[in-house]
Amino acid sequence: MTKVEMTRREFLKLTGASLFLSAVPVSGFTKDLPQGNISVILLQGGMDGLTAVPPIGDPALASLRQEIGLSNPIKINPFFGLHPKLQYFSKLMAKGEASVVHATSFPYTKRSHFEGQNYMQGGGSGPFSTTTGWLGRALDLALLPGRAMSLELPLILRGSLDVDNFYPARVSGSSKPEKWLIEQITMAHQAEEAKAFAAVGQKVADQEKSNIPRDPVSLAQYAGEQMSKKGGPVASVIRVNQFDTHALQGADDGNHGDRLELLDEVIKAYRKGLGSAWNNSIILTLTEFGRTASVNGTSGTDHGYGSVGLLAGGLINKSRIISEWPGLGSADLFEDRDLYASIDYRSVCAACIERALGLDHDLITQKVFLTSKLKRTYDYIFS
Amino acid sequence: MTESFRVAQKIGLLFRPEDDIPRDIKDWAIGQLNTESKSIGIRSISNSQKIEPWPEEYLPNLSERAEMLRQLRLDEDLIQKDKTLSKIEMDRLLWISEKKNNIRFLDELRFSHRNVYAEDQVKQRFSLFWSNHFTVGISGTTRGLIGHFMDAAILANLNGSFANMLYKVTTHPAMLTYLDNIYSVGENSERAVQCRKNNKCKVGLNDNLGRELLELHTVSPAADYTESDIRAAAQVLAGWGTIVDKPQLEKFGLFNHWDAFVVNRAEPGTKVILGKVIYAGKDGLKNLTDHLASHENTKLYLARKLCQHFVSDDVQNADVEYIVKVWGQSNGDLHKIHQAVIERAIASKAPKFQWPATWLFQVLRISDSTYFLGWDDMHKDLNDKRMSAKKVFQELGQPFWAKRQPNGYSSSKSYWISGEFLERRLRFSEAIYNTAHPQFTPKEMMDRIGVNSTTRNLVEGLTGRKRKFIALMCSPELMGV
Repeated sequence: MTKVEMTRREFLKLTGASLFLSAVPVSGFTKDLPQGNISVILLQGGMDGLTAVPPIGDPALASLRQEIGLSNPIKINPFFGLHPKLQYFSKLMAKGEASVVHATSFPYTKRSHFEGQNYMQGGGSGPFSTTTGWLGRALDLALLPGRAMSLELPLILRGSLDVDNFYPARVSGSSKPEKWLIEQITMAHQAEEAKAFAAVGQKVADQEKSNIPRDPVSLAQYAGEQMSKKGGPVASVIRVNQFDTHALQGADDGNHGDRLELLDEVIKAYRKGLGSAWNNSIILTLTEFGRTASVNGTSGTDHGYGSVGLLAGGLINKSRIISEWPGLGSADLFEDRDLYASIDYRSVCAACIERALGLDHDLITQKVFLTSKLKRTYDYIFS
Repeated sequence: MTESFRVAQKIGLLFRPEDDIPRDIKDWAIGQLNTESKSIGIRSISNSQKIEPWPEEYLPNLSERAEMLRQLRLDEDLIQKDKTLSKIEMDRLLWISEKKNNIRFLDELRFSHRNVYAEDQVKQRFSLFWSNHFTVGISGTTRGLIGHFMDAAILANLNGSFANMLYKVTTHPAMLTYLDNIYSVGENSERAVQCRKNNKCKVGLNDNLGRELLELHTVSPAADYTESDIRAAAQVLAGWGTIVDKPQLEKFGLFNHWDAFVVNRAEPGTKVILGKVIYAGKDGLKNLTDHLASHENTKLYLARKLCQHFVSDDVQNADVEYIVKVWGQSNGDLHKIHQAVIERAIASKAPKFQWPATWLFQVLRISDSTYFLGWDDMHKDLNDKRMSAKKVFQELGQPFWAKRQPNGYSSSKSYWISGEFLERRLRFSEAIYNTAHPQFTPKEMMDRIGVNSTTRNLVEGLTGRKRKFIALMCSPELMGV
């Protein structure tokens, strides 16, 4: 591992990452930009930010991560590396089409998967505080359609009438439902059931493909293809799970690395499916929390706080690592155990919405994240 | 629906053709809690009218399961290391070993049979509720243990105290494996001290089960516990459990996988969890689970969860308070608690949305269809379009034998409403009509159930028996909305 001795201050000077000005939002600023599209990859279980984007220049890293430290990270700069399984992502970074936000999280510190997953999707005042999701509310405001690539409609997309899901059925002995029959059944139902049955009818009417393989990579490519079409969804959500590596986490290879490899392939598949629409795209990851800074007793890591967000897409015009690095020294760790989250990831999501959907930052703050104040990080990510 | 069907939909699995429709539905439902539970089902779809007990050979006990898992691991190691084998040959040999030693597929089929053919339908519903509350997903050896866990830790303890079930569940090897506790070693245990001295091994604590024991199984985050409570719970749990497919019992001088406490891995000293002092030793865990079982937050959290699952989608505080009161008065007697849930489910006229899996069982029962294979059919190459139980539950979005999160499936209706989920209802209805030979016509079923006018108008407005069948099963009434 490359070891670069550097103080926190020197590092911040180098990357310019501490320039966290309280940005002044300009009303209507983004309205004139061409409309883009936004995709969210839900990383379920808690991605280990210190494995995905190891701060190789932090002097405390090696001792914290003895059994699961990477032997061969891809070097981004003297301070940060990438997990070797994030090959494709590293190429995007080299091309200026991907960025990393490090030491970040939704402001949730209680380390429960289920509260954390609810909060990162709901985005209200805390876990289980809303029945709609931040992306759904944003689409509702922008009057734009969205789609989830899963059997259920995840919380994150709820809150807009113009969202649906796609996960083609494989029921032996059945055929595509009859449009007319669906209509009759829809009419007998009310409320959300009627809407969902009507969505089945719509899919039949659109003669949508049903032979798409259901692995995340194929679904990501298909989502990209659909988004690239005129009138297609402008938002998509896909899930990559099993990041919860309490035992035998692995290092360059192994459990966590496998999940990162899958994530890398999902991003690549989006790129392929989006085609020229890639230029108008932003893809971001979302995870409920990071993992403990040190290894636990079973060669894994437990639930933590700060993690990492990966951003990719043509809407990024300069690759960077956006971080206000809190450090990994024992005095720096949150509650003596976790990487601190110095950037509220909601503000990163907000910037992506602003860029892709053309909504005003203040509006996003109030109507999407249901709060009175959220820092505007737009310029750090998209300038 | 008639009152009998309405109640049986909420807290049971609806009536099969051979069931007498009870006149006093409340008496029947409460009486159901004492029904004997047997594994029954069909040997073969070609002889589907004969419902009989499952063969003993497919009901292995825990040590037999451990032996099967051990054999499975040995075979896998042997086959996968053999460089002379082609991929096809390797898969074939693995499949032979799976057929013999991987009980998971038969367990999943038996679970389906129980729900479709069982005489103890109300117990099956409560059993599924608790099996889901105490979720064990597939992780390592749990594939061979989940079936045992459902039978022996949940169903067998439905009429005892919650504290007893909690302890049985927490100490069952399926749970200890699924939430990584089998690897957890107290940091000041003899084993850890020795490891540090020799510098040859590294062992330590894993807080996965400790955390979920508090968060999901008992008090819930509403109890405002701290990381130190979680850590202390993990310390109480350290030393519990063994790796079932390795010869660890012998190594540790133990006799039973379900009572496996390895003293030299346990954390010495007292621990404090939510104000309760727990002393070191094997009894510590029972003291902890008893304390958690009787905690006020546990009662509140579980009463609400039971109401949401059985009583109404829009949970009413009065129902929750009633269950909490019974819980307190009976010291957490599950028989009395279930009885209270039944009373409130009957008293509430609000509909209760049914899970995809429960709905499927109900559709099969009221239409008298033969959809799941028989146990003899399992390993035959049938020229039949029927899906395996594994595929059915996957497709419904409710696989119980799967890699899944420990919070289990949501009882909230809105989770289960999406275009894709509802397309599954349409397609499964059609598949059942096409392949499972329903013995009742839609009209016969509507008369027997006593459907409401919305359902009757919907079905009668359609032409063709298949369309009528699909519409009936996907009607608001049969879905529980």
